[in-house]
Amino acid sequence: MIRNLSFEVKIQHNLKKCFYYDDGNKLLLSPTSNQVFSWKTAPFSPNAAPNIDSITEGPICSIRFSLDEKLIAVQRSNTSIIFFHRETGETFTHRCKSESESILGFFWTDCPSCDIVVVKTSGLDLYAYDHASKSLALVETKKMTVSWYVYTHESRLVLLASGMQCKTFHGFQLSSVGIIRLPKFEMVMAKPEANSKPVLASEDVYIVTVYGRIYCLQVDRVAMVLHSYRFYRDAIIQQGSLPIYSHKVAVSVVDNVLLVHQVDAKVIILYDIFSDSRAPISAPLPVLFRGFPRSDSFTSRPGTKESESLEASDSNDNEAIIYGEGWTFLVPDLICDVANMRLWKIHLDLEAISASSSEVPSVLEFLQRRKLEANKAKQLCLAITRTMILERRPINMVAKSMDVLVTSYALSLKAGSYFKGIKTERTSSSVPNVSGPGQGVDVNTGRTDGLGKSVQHESASRVNSVSVSRPSNYLSSETEDSSSFEPLKISSNDAQFDSGKVDTGAESSATGNPLNASVSEQQESQLTSPAISPDEMYRFVFAPAEEEMIGEPSYLVSIILEFFRSANLEKVKVHPNLYVLTVQLLARSEQYAELGLCVINKIIEPSKEVALQLLESGRQNFQIRKLGSDMLRQVSLHQDYVLLLVQDGYYLEALRYARKHKVTTIRPSLFLEAAMTSNDSQHLAAVLRFFSDFIPGFHSTSDFSTYYHILNEMNSSSVVA
Amino acid sequence: MSSSLLILNHQLTITSSTYDSKFFFQTKPKSSRSPSLVTEDLRSFISKFYTVHSTNSASFMGLSSIGTASDGMQLCIFDLRRGQHEGQELDKILYFFPADLPFSTQLSVIGLSEGLITFTRIFSPEAACEVIEAERHSHVFYEAEPDIWMVMIVEKSKESEAIWRIDALREVLKEIHSLFVMFHGSIRALLEREPSGGLTRAHLYPFIMDYLRDFLIGKKLQLPSFRDCLMERRSVQMLTVGREAAIEVQTLVRILESSAGNLPCFSLILFQDLLVSTTLSPEDTINLFKYAVLRLTPLALSSGAKSWSYLRRGNSSSHVSIGSTLPSTGSVSEQFYGSHDASPAGDNRYHVTRPLQHDKWFKGKDGFLITDIWGGDIGSLNVTTPTVWLHQTEERMYLCAYQYKSLTIILLIPLSSILNGDQGVSILKQQLLENASLKILKVEEKLSKGWGGENAYHVSGYRYLLVDGNRDISRASPPTKVTTLSKESLLALNRLREEVDAEKSRAKWDNPGREKDLEVCIRAKNNAWAVARITGGKELYMVLEKANETLLYASDAVEKFSNRYCSGTFSLD
Repeated sequence: MIRNLSFEVKIQHNLKKCFYYDDGNKLLLSPTSNQVFSWKTAPFSPNAAPNIDSITEGPICSIRFSLDEKLIAVQRSNTSIIFFHRETGETFTHRCKSESESILGFFWTDCPSCDIVVVKTSGLDLYAYDHASKSLALVETKKMTVSWYVYTHESRLVLLASGMQCKTFHGFQLSSVGIIRLPKFEMVMAKPEANSKPVLASEDVYIVTVYGRIYCLQVDRVAMVLHSYRFYRDAIIQQGSLPIYSHKVAVSVVDNVLLVHQVDAKVIILYDIFSDSRAPISAPLPVLFRGFPRSDSFTSRPGTKESESLEASDSNDNEAIIYGEGWTFLVPDLICDVANMRLWKIHLDLEAISASSSEVPSVLEFLQRRKLEANKAKQLCLAITRTMILERRPINMVAKSMDVLVTSYALSLKAGSYFKGIKTERTSSSVPNVSGPGQGVDVNTGRTDGLGKSVQHESASRVNSVSVSRPSNYLSSETEDSSSFEPLKISSNDAQFDSGKVDTGAESSATGNPLNASVSEQQESQLTSPAISPDEMYRFVFAPAEEEMIGEPSYLVSIILEFFRSANLEKVKVHPNLYVLTVQLLARSEQYAELGLCVINKIIEPSKEVALQLLESGRQNFQIRKLGSDMLRQVSLHQDYVLLLVQDGYYLEALRYARKHKVTTIRPSLFLEAAMTSNDSQHLAAVLRFFSDFIPGFHSTSDFSTYYHILNEMNSSSVVA
Repeated sequence: MSSSLLILNHQLTITSSTYDSKFFFQTKPKSSRSPSLVTEDLRSFISKFYTVHSTNSASFMGLSSIGTASDGMQLCIFDLRRGQHEGQELDKILYFFPADLPFSTQLSVIGLSEGLITFTRIFSPEAACEVIEAERHSHVFYEAEPDIWMVMIVEKSKESEAIWRIDALREVLKEIHSLFVMFHGSIRALLEREPSGGLTRAHLYPFIMDYLRDFLIGKKLQLPSFRDCLMERRSVQMLTVGREAAIEVQTLVRILESSAGNLPCFSLILFQDLLVSTTLSPEDTINLFKYAVLRLTPLALSSGAKSWSYLRRGNSSSHVSIGSTLPSTGSVSEQFYGSHDASPAGDNRYHVTRPLQHDKWFKGKDGFLITDIWGGDIGSLNVTTPTVWLHQTEERMYLCAYQYKSLTIILLIPLSSILNGDQGVSILKQQLLENASLKILKVEEKLSKGWGGENAYHVSGYRYLLVDGNRDISRASPPTKVTTLSKESLLALNRLREEVDAEKSRAKWDNPGREKDLEVCIRAKNNAWAVARITGGKELYMVLEKANETLLYASDAVEKFSNRYCSGTFSLD
């Protein structure tokens, strides 16, 4: 079955006749004759009540709130802008000075020198708002002819079109750092016939911000391509073109993914322009409505799957038409359906996108770059990797995938985002009212769909509260870690050596699930990076894969080796349990030669866990056991080493070693018993002598008297013989 | 049975029915069952035995003629289960070097050996005679397969170079046998396939001749002597690699073995003459490693290429040199052992492949090593893929060798898993190149970068040999450095090693399965220290020529070495 649903678009509110979008404040504005309704679109919540402000009656060309939301500026005509003070209700009007120029529009800015920029046919006027006099003071004028302009608050970039074909551009970036004037540049336009010269329209130019870079996308209807230009401080460089398949296109950006709406075809093509690749992420995907749950009590209900589908049918009742006539695309990720008075927010269905591409490494790469739904991306990555291994895909492909995951983890370590995520995760996991027991790891990728989004608002507010009280919370979570998490791990390790395979899985469910369940169900938005640590790789990929894969474990070993290779390249430390698993697998398939090489060349890094596993696996193979005992010695586990020597009957060597490394914790009776069983009275005497010499008061212990007696008996019997 | 042995009241009687003579020998009153003691007794017994006979009948045992034979070395293989009736004695001889000795002489040598084996089995049924030290000869015994014995007789010549370590000679026998089995299967199996023994002889003769050619220096067979006491024949020398390179190698191994699909196959990777990786059992690893070093590595190929030319191809002149050591006069024995020079053109009764033949491997254009040893024509590149028999799986495998610069890769694929023979192999080779060639490039580059050159494992001030008996790995000072040692030092170490060998074999009998820790230091005439330390199955031998006066100093030096290069294995606890 092909999953052809890709977008969730959410119902918001019933709108009045006309609307404006104020991207500076992320407000949806709907003015009536004497009022302005404003809805906050961030955070996006379905039933937000609008704010209502009164304004005077009059025509409205455009409307924007000041960035501090104290003033409302309304462009009445091409010559005047009227300002309303929201609290006091005071107004003042700004007019064009000369008759020859007209106002094209305006926007508020956080530029230090000015507050509002008015775009006129003769250029830009930069004004500062004077609070005292309640008027605008002209700071600077940039003179040039302007046919039309585009501006996004996100990029702080204004592009001014001029020339016959409106394809010559001046650009300014007005950021809080200052004003940067970009060099003049021309856009490319194909000519339909020799003499005709098409004119570029403002709706054909989009400013998009992706991964913190600013691009401009220009629709060329003649060539049916979307040209892209990247803005640098001192240059504008054309970056290549994307094909379009519809006369009407629109561009959105969600979580740094570029969405090109092919409106006529009613599909979207997605691009992840992180690298130089201009290939779409997946095949063109259609849009699907997905409503919010009707009830507001969504927070406590885990059964989201059903309610989600109910909502979907609900929205059908509302006769929303995909890519209907009234759709207006707002930057960066909103769609306003004027006809149905709805605002939709575009949401990537990561699951569907990843399912629509078979190129696993690139899918993982894509998922690893997602920040908005980091946890979902992470769970998907884990699931995809696991599936890839279970399906025994070619090693080269899996190797590439490992590279992607490990590199991403290393990057997130460097950027600190991995631990940032983990810390909030842990802090909140110590919050007492963590609900959602019994949520399996593999289920939650499917479940977070509807629920995850809905939690967003709530959890965002929780982040705030957490960060206020952070020091105490942080400490408590840390101590909890060391007291409950660590011992759990060790005990499960010990158990593991008793009965091999079953316990590795048990461990993953013991330590893994509770933590993760709370993460996936509750903390979705707090995880800032989908990076997967080697620990998680072990618990959620390798250990489950090992459980599910039947028969020859050779393939899994190959994959683990590839993972070691990636981890080594990125200098990432591997979980000791993964080494233990590798030893188990190699021993199970009797690949002792390879196991030996892996240990000797330290591909499997020495640790107590590994040493014990080698001893365990070495029951069938003497050389492997030897490696285990050597490793005990190598990692300075003196006591274990001495015990092992005694067990193997090398009690004299054990005594020598114990003396050298000051191991005093082992009972003398162990050595004495070993010496006794060897039936060598000289050795027994030597051992007795050793303890008499080195342990004060040994003469008076029961051990001494017992074995002294035995020694005497041995001697007398040997004389008789 | 040609001779019988009796023990009554500590008196040993040996009756030789064939030659109708009797000898009496008084063993020590407190004779124990320990084979070493028996051997000791036998030593004196044999010396008497010789003295009597060299005077009585010169032809008896033919031992007097050994001195005149080539280089004073004799090597024979015989089967105790054969030729047990009078008149059929020849049947038991499977191989004899030199082959031109009269059969009577051959038989007498074998008769003596057989007698001793039978005799010592009385005391030690599981492990019969190991060695006889006679006045002028050493007899080294090795039971290669049940009742199939290899005996090497070396002359203790007056020239001082002929000082051996018996165990080193026995290693040669073991090596001959293991390599033979790797290519031709067990001797017993060959005998069962053709009970007349002709097939076995036809295989053994050229094989051992080709093998011995490697010991030829000029026209002299140079057997391992005391000068080789800092090396261990039946072990593998490994390249030390860093973790990163090791991971690359291991992933390459995985890719290589996955190229064969789901078939179980094995691989061996060498860099120069050192082992980098193996997935074979220790026994098979030693054999294939040895073969690779002898014939396949770049060094082995280039030494062959020097003497190889197109003109010589096709004729058998390449084994003239070995022939020269055996005057091909004895036409009887020639027929007996099959044709001497199993030249491709020769019309043999048996089709015998000669895997140890010299100068027969070449590097093909695709990087794979090719040979016509197994048949086919090298010119047309249409050659039969070599096969080997693995000890571990008891299965015959195709041997594919690939070489890139210093890297030699050997891949072994079970015969049973490739249906259409050589065609299937060439498809597999193609797959291998597609999957792994990039990785091979990378691994070679990584290994070359980390390669310290010929003297990489030289530790200045030390001449050492490190043997890990658990894993059959050894490492030693480079040969060029060992040659700087004085003769006295080497002799001292050789002596020390003999002692350790004896101690080890005694411990093996006294306490099977237990490892004995051991330390011996001796001072040579030239004031050098020869040190042996054995612990946990690992052995360290060392010569310290500049170790000044005290034992303490020598001991310190060993300790330092152990901590630095053996992660403290040999440090005294």
